[in-house]
Amino acid sequence: MTPALPGAAAGAGVAAMTVPPAAFLLVGTLLFFIGVAGALLKRNALSMFLSIELMMNAVNLLFLTYARMRGDAAGQMVVFFVIAVAAAEAAVGLAIFVALFRARMTIDVDKANLLKW
Amino acid sequence: MTLTLSEPLFNALLAVVKILFVWAMTLAALLPNLIWAERRVSGLIQDRPGPNRVGPLGLFQAVADVLKLMMKEDVVPLYVDKVLFTLAPLITLTPALVTFAVIPFGSSIPITWNGAVRDVPLVIADVNVGILYIFALTSLAVYGIVLAGWSSNDKYSLLGGVRASAQIISYELAMGFSAAGVFIAAGSLRLPAVVEWQHAHLWNVVPQFLGFVVFAVAIFAETNRIPFDLSEAEAELVAGYHTEYSSFRFAMFFMGEYANLIAASAVVTTLYFGGWSLPGVAFTGLWGGLASIAVFAVKTAAFIFLFLWVRWTLPRFRYDQLMELGWKVFLPLSFFHLIAVAAFVAASGR
Amino acid sequence: MSAQMIVFALASALALVFALLMVVVKTPVKSVLSLVVTFFGLAVLSILLAAPFIAALQVIVYAGAILVLFLFVIMLLNLQKEATEKDARPIHRVLSLVAVLASGGLLAGVTLRAGAPPVPLTAPAAAYAIPAADEIPLLGRLLFSDYLLAFEALSVLLLLAAVGALILSKRRFE
Repeated sequence: MTPALPGAAAGAGVAAMTVPPAAFLLVGTLLFFIGVAGALLKRNALSMFLSIELMMNAVNLLFLTYARMRGDAAGQMVVFFVIAVAAAEAAVGLAIFVALFRARMTIDVDKANLLKW
Repeated sequence: MTLTLSEPLFNALLAVVKILFVWAMTLAALLPNLIWAERRVSGLIQDRPGPNRVGPLGLFQAVADVLKLMMKEDVVPLYVDKVLFTLAPLITLTPALVTFAVIPFGSSIPITWNGAVRDVPLVIADVNVGILYIFALTSLAVYGIVLAGWSSNDKYSLLGGVRASAQIISYELAMGFSAAGVFIAAGSLRLPAVVEWQHAHLWNVVPQFLGFVVFAVAIFAETNRIPFDLSEAEAELVAGYHTEYSSFRFAMFFMGEYANLIAASAVVTTLYFGGWSLPGVAFTGLWGGLASIAVFAVKTAAFIFLFLWVRWTLPRFRYDQLMELGWKVFLPLSFFHLIAVAAFVAASGR
Repeated sequence: MSAQMIVFALASALALVFALLMVVVKTPVKSVLSLVVTFFGLAVLSILLAAPFIAALQVIVYAGAILVLFLFVIMLLNLQKEATEKDARPIHRVLSLVAVLASGGLLAGVTLRAGAPPVPLTAPAAAYAIPAADEIPLLGRLLFSDYLLAFEALSVLLLLAAVGALILSKRRFE
C-alpha cells in the first residue's frame, strides 16, 4: 500500500472534514452523467471531445474523494496521471480534427462515414 | 493597542486589511503612476518631453487619460457576441489582481493582540502551492484576449486572438521550467520560503542567471508586451484583439495590461531578486516591516522600468520568429537550466 | 452550516450548472468557456478535498493549456454554430438518452453505496482531516519511487503524442 497522506496521521488541531464524502461522490457522478449525455447527443466532434474531458474530470473528483476518505495518496497519483494522459490525448485528438476538417470541410461526426455501411 | 476579537475574526480582518492595502498600492498608487511613467519614459527615450501639462511634471496625466476614455461613446458593434464582448475585458483584469494574494510583499509586522505580540507575515495567503497558483492564474489571463478576439467578429481581432493563444501556451512551458529551478534550490513551492532562502543565501539572479533570462523573456511574451505584442501589432492587425473596443471597455484592457505588468514585475522580484529582502539586513519590528515593503516596492518599480525601457527600444518580432525563439531556443535552454540546477543541488547533497 | 459546506455548495452548483450549459449551448466557443468554469468549480472541490496541488495542476493543464488549444482549433477552423438541420436519425438520440439514464442510474447507485460504506475503512477517522503538512514532497517521492515506471512510460507517451500530432496535422505537399 502507498504511504498515507500527511493528514491521515495528524491529530488534534486540524479541522475535521465537515462535508460528507457522499456529497462529493454525488457531484462527481452527476458530472460524469452530464458528460456521457454530451458525448452521445452531440454531433460536433469537438463538443463530443469536450464532454469526454468532462467525464475524465468527474472521475478525477471521485479519485480525490476516495484518496481523502482513505487518507491514501494513491488516488492523487492516479489523478496526476489522468491529467497528463488527457494532455497527450487532447493533442492527438485535436490534430485528428484538423486533419478531418481538411479532408471533409466539417467535423460533424455523422459526415465522417466512409467506413460505415 | 489591544483588541478583543475572536481568533478567526481577527485573522479574517487581517486578511481584509492586507488585501485592501495591496490593491490600494497597485490600483491607486502604482497603476496611475505607471500610465504616466510609460508616457514620460517614452518621451525620454525618444528625446522629447512627453506629457507635462496636467499637474506638476504631468503627474495627473493618468487621471486625464482615464476621464477622457470614460467620456467617450461606448460603441458596441452590431455583430459582436454581446455577452463575451462584455466579459472579455473583465477576464483580462481579474487574474492580475488576484495574483498578489500569494506574493510576500514584506517581512512581518508585530501586532499586539489579546496581550500577546505576534508577528504577522506580510503575505495575504501563504499557500503551499504558491507558484502553481500564479501559473494557474497567468494561464487564465489568455482567455480575456482570446475571447475579445473571437467575440468581436472581426478578422483582425480573430487573428490577434489566435496569435495570443498559441504564443502564451508556447512561452508558458519555458516559463514553468525556468522557474522550477528556483523551487528546486529553495526546496519549497511556497513563495515566502523562496524569499527566505534568498535572504539566507544569495539572490537567485546570480546562481540562476540563465533561468532568470528565460523567465524574464517569457514574462514579456505572457504579458503581451513589445517585443512580443503580436496579438495587437498595430502595423499589421490594426489593434488586434481590442480593435472593436472603445471607451471604458478599452480602458479596462489598458488597465489590465498594466496590472499584469505590475504583477509580473512583482513575481520576478520575488523569484529572482530576493523579494523584500536585502543582503545582510534583518527586517524586524514595525519599522523593519515597513522598510521591507518599501524595498519590495522599489525593486518592483525597477523591473517595471525595464519593461518600459524595452518597449520603447526594441522592435516587434515577426510571428514565426517568435515561435522559433520560444520552441527552439528558450525551451531547450530552460531544460538545460533545470537539469543543471537539479544536478548541482543533488551534488551538494541537500 | 459550516464555511466548508457553503463553499462546497457554491462550487458544486457552479460546476454542475456550467457542465449542463456546456452540453446545451450550440456555439463551440461557449461550450469551451462553460467547461472552463466547470473546471474552476472542480478545482475548488479538489482544494476542499485537501489536494491543492492537484487543483492547481488541473487549472494549469486543463483550463490553461488543453482548453486554450481547443479554442485555438475552433478559431483556426472557424467553427461557428453547430449544424441546425434536422437530425437524420432521431431514434439515435432517443436511444442515447435512454442509455444515459440507465447507465447514470446504475453508476449513481454504485458510487453512493461506496460513499456510505458498510465495511469500516482501513484508515482511521482522522483521515478526514485536512493535512497539516505539505503533501507535495510526498507526491514527488511517490512519483520517483512507486510510480517510476508509469512516470517514464508517460514521458514516452507525451513524446509520441507530440510527434503524432505533428504528423497528423501537417499539410501534405504533393
